[in-house]
Order: sequence, then C-alpha cells, then structure tokens
Amino acid sequence: MAEFRVPIGPQHPALKEPISIRMTLEGEVIKDADLKLGYNHRGLEKLAEERNYIQNLYLTERICGICSHSHATCYCQGVEKLMELEPTRRGLYIRTLVAELERIHSHLLWLGIAGHEAGFDTFFMYTWRDREVVMDILEIISGNRVHYSINTFGGARRDIDDLQKQKILDGLKILKDRTKYYLNIGVTEPTFIARLAGVGKISKERAVALCAVGPTIRASGVSRDVRKDDPYAVYDELPFEVCTADTCDVLGRAVVRIKELMESYKMCEYLVKNLPSGEIKVKAPRRVKEAEVISRYEAPRGENIHYIKSNGTDKPERLKVRAPTLANYAATIEMLKNGFVADIPLIFAAIDPCICCAERLIELVDARTGEEKIILSSDLRKWSIEYYNKKTNCSSLRAKSSEIIWPL
Amino acid sequence: MNDEKIINSIRDKLQTKILDLTNPAPRRIYLKVNPKDLLDTIRYLRDTFNFTHLATISGLDKGDNFEILYHFANEFTVLTVRILTPRLDPKIPSICEVIPGAILYERELLDMFGIIVENIPDPRSLLLPDGWPQGIYPLRKDWKYERPPEIIPDKGNK
Repeated sequence: MAEFRVPIGPQHPALKEPISIRMTLEGEVIKDADLKLGYNHRGLEKLAEERNYIQNLYLTERICGICSHSHATCYCQGVEKLMELEPTRRGLYIRTLVAELERIHSHLLWLGIAGHEAGFDTFFMYTWRDREVVMDILEIISGNRVHYSINTFGGARRDIDDLQKQKILDGLKILKDRTKYYLNIGVTEPTFIARLAGVGKISKERAVALCAVGPTIRASGVSRDVRKDDPYAVYDELPFEVCTADTCDVLGRAVVRIKELMESYKMCEYLVKNLPSGEIKVKAPRRVKEAEVISRYEAPRGENIHYIKSNGTDKPERLKVRAPTLANYAATIEMLKNGFVADIPLIFAAIDPCICCAERLIELVDARTGEEKIILSSDLRKWSIEYYNKKTNCSSLRAKSSEIIWPL
Repeated sequence: MNDEKIINSIRDKLQTKILDLTNPAPRRIYLKVNPKDLLDTIRYLRDTFNFTHLATISGLDKGDNFEILYHFANEFTVLTVRILTPRLDPKIPSICEVIPGAILYERELLDMFGIIVENIPDPRSLLLPDGWPQGIYPLRKDWKYERPPEIIPDKGNK
C-alpha cells in the first residue's frame, strides 16, 4: 500500500503553542508521526532575565490563557521560597481557591471540546454553558475572566467577603449537579463510549517511560499528582483523592477529568467554608539573595515545573519553565501511532484542551501521484464523524440511548 | 522513603563519584556528578528509587561552563542531577536510552545552548525557526536580541 505524508499545522491563531506534526500513513493507519515546535516561541525565558521579580509575575501569568494562574502560582511560590517569605494563610487559601476554580473551568472546557470532536455537539453546548457559571465566580473573585492576577509575593491581592462566599457556594451547587449528570453520560451513553473507548491507547509502562503528566498519565493507571506527591500551598490540609482510570484511552481521560471536577468542587467548598481570618498578604523584599529553587504545581493539564535561580539582584539569573503540554507530546506521538487518521482530532483534544478548537489547515499529499489537497480541519472533523458513523453501526447504539433520561 | 534515606543510599552506592550532594529544602535533593558518570547514576536512580519521571532538563550559562540540571521526580521527592560541561567544548551524553521521554528536552538544549548531545536519537532542531543562523544560541548570556530597524515606506522609497 502506498504511503501518505500528512502535515498538520503549524498555524493556529488561538493557541499558545501551535505545532506542526507530519504523519506517515499507510491507508487509514498512522505509521509514524514527527513533531516541529517553536512556531510561537516568544523567548520568554530570555525575557525573564531582563525583568525584575514582580514584573515577571505578570509575564509568567501570560504564558497561557487557560491555565494562567498555574504559571503565576508556580513562579510565585518559587520566588517566595527564594525570598524566605511565608505567605499568609488567608492568602494561600484564596490562591488555592482560584487554582481549583481554574481547574474546573479548564476541565469543563476540555469536556466540551471532547464532545465536539466526538461529534456530540449537545454535550459541547451543555458544558460550555455551565462553564459560564465558574467564569462568573472567577470574575466575582478577581474581576477578570482570564488573567486573574490574584497572586502577589506573600499572599493574594484581593480579599473575599461574605456575599462573595455565598455566591461561590451557590454556583458550585449548580455545577455539582450538572457534573453528576456528565459522569452519568461518561459511563452510560453508548454512542459516546463507542467513540472514545479504545482510541489513543498508551500503556502504563510507555506512559511512565515517556514522562507523561496529568490526566494523560492518570488515565493509564498511574496515580501521579503533584498536589499529593509534593504538596504546595494548603493542599496538605485539603480533603481530596487522586482520580485515576485504567482504560489507557480517551474515555479514561474523560472519566478522570470528570471525577477531578467532583474533587475540585469538594475542595472549593472546603476552602470557602474554612477560610481563615487575618491579613491577605505580607510585604515582600525587592532583592533576592543568591539561591536556586524548583517549584512544582499541578496545572489542569498536568505537572508544571519552574526552575528559578537568583543572583542577588532584583532580577532572576535564570527562569526555566516547562509547561505540561510539552511533557505530553512524546506520549501523544505514541498514541497516534497505529491509530486512524479520523482519530487525530480526538487524540489531540485528549491531551490539550485547545489544540483542536480552531480551524487548521491540513495538506493531504498522495505519495503516488504527488497530488495535493488542502482541507480545513473542520472538514476533517466532519469527515471523521461520517467515517465512524459508517464504520460502527451507530443507529443500533442510538436506539438504546433513548432509554437514558435527559434532565432538560 | 524519605530524603535522608535516599541521600544515605546514594552516598553508600556512588561514593567517590559524588561531587556534591545537598538537601537545602524538604523534598529537594541536588546531586552533582561528572558527565561520564551521568548515565550510570541515572540508571541507578531509576532502578533503585523509581525516579522514572524526568520533569525537565534545565540549562544554565555559568560563563566558562554550562550547567545542565536533570530534574527527576518520584512519589516522595525531587532529585536534581547536575553536570558541568566546558563552554569551549560543550558535550554531554544523551540519556534517552535510560529515559526515553528526555528526547524533547535534549533537543531544546541543543537549540537554546548549542550543547552537543552525543548519541541523541534525533538531533534536528526543535524550536528555532528554519532560517535561524548557525552558531547562534539564544539562551547563552552573550547573546542579546536586537530589534531590526523598522523600515517605513514613504513616497521617496516606494
């Protein structure tokens, strides 16, 4: 059979990390995949060496739009260790509350994307409507929907009053009920399961060997979570479980994220109800003595690590940032191998919530004739849904789905 | 398993290979070795203490030398293995045969610091653009970005 090479990417305006992947196909099956990054490399590590510590706090926040708080917190707690500064308990509680709310919004966004890529657009509409509830909560706390800017060295920048607390708890109640319903879909809806189960397989051994992180590795049965392994902020006092699945596929990743949502609601309620009184921040020094620190943080997509080295001035000597998506690329290549072309959007969506959410150009080159055909990713998605409709006998599955009671 | 236990076992096993071994904060261990002992050290750490997860590799420009830091994590602690390599002849061994997930981080070192990673399975550029000039490595301290002069077309030079 002739071999096809399919380049995907790199241009992708909505993403922080547009990537180019060149795939070698044999018929419908992906035989090899190759990666090229750096299409949106902003030289941030170099830039950080020319900014002072407080400027870098806002710089790191702008690494990502979805998990902005995770980078800012990771950097902030690292610098606090360098400054030997003990942040206030109330500040830490507010910081952790925003962190968990961010996880909720990121996971709800991801669920919608997964539903969309699987051809289940009702699910996409539902989750994104519910995501607005948590976005409103974040706006109530921080005044912003995307970059919350809640962190500062020594604590948090804004306080929470009783009215805000009540609004947060009301919102969480709505979200909790909705998520229970999504968990029900995740384990009972036959069409959804038929599309996600068995796609993007990666064994436990390979996931560990390739250093995958976050829900990707937890869905392969490894309970690796920085919040438990290396507790930061106030995670050592919070009640929560690490969620895992052992199916090693996209379905497992979806179930892990839905379960994590439930854990996050529990944590948020605890944080709001047990918010300690006192100051929200302490004053931080401008200069930092010479030292080095490794700061880890469990972002919604996985482990986030910052290495910071100071040199005695008000600027860092070196700031190394490794975002969770980079750690998962090697595992993604492995997942794509021996999968189908029609699964590409879904497998990508399964590691990173925003890699597939906008239009993307795909060039299909026929190896025999050299004929090139450019299609939009939306067409690829449409085609992948049609392909699976033809392949699996979905009509029989859909008949069964009418037995499920829809709450709306 | 705690920091102290790990440090004692490393001290017993590696002995003279250890150049420096510190524990400045809880759950943070720093171990310095020679580049030639790197692979054996990492293999030992992986098999004995389950340091299978390589969080990332950081490069550091220290003037005459480059410092490479391999940040490993297991369920209990974070262990950083550091090596030094001279600036004039920066060469380090690839650890991909022990930790396959290291490939992207090693390619990043190659791009950003110009460090030659020996036996790397895939030595192509990962991050820098296609037209990037050879021999220029952005994260070295002697490289400074200069914004190219802006040319505004006017009536004179249309």
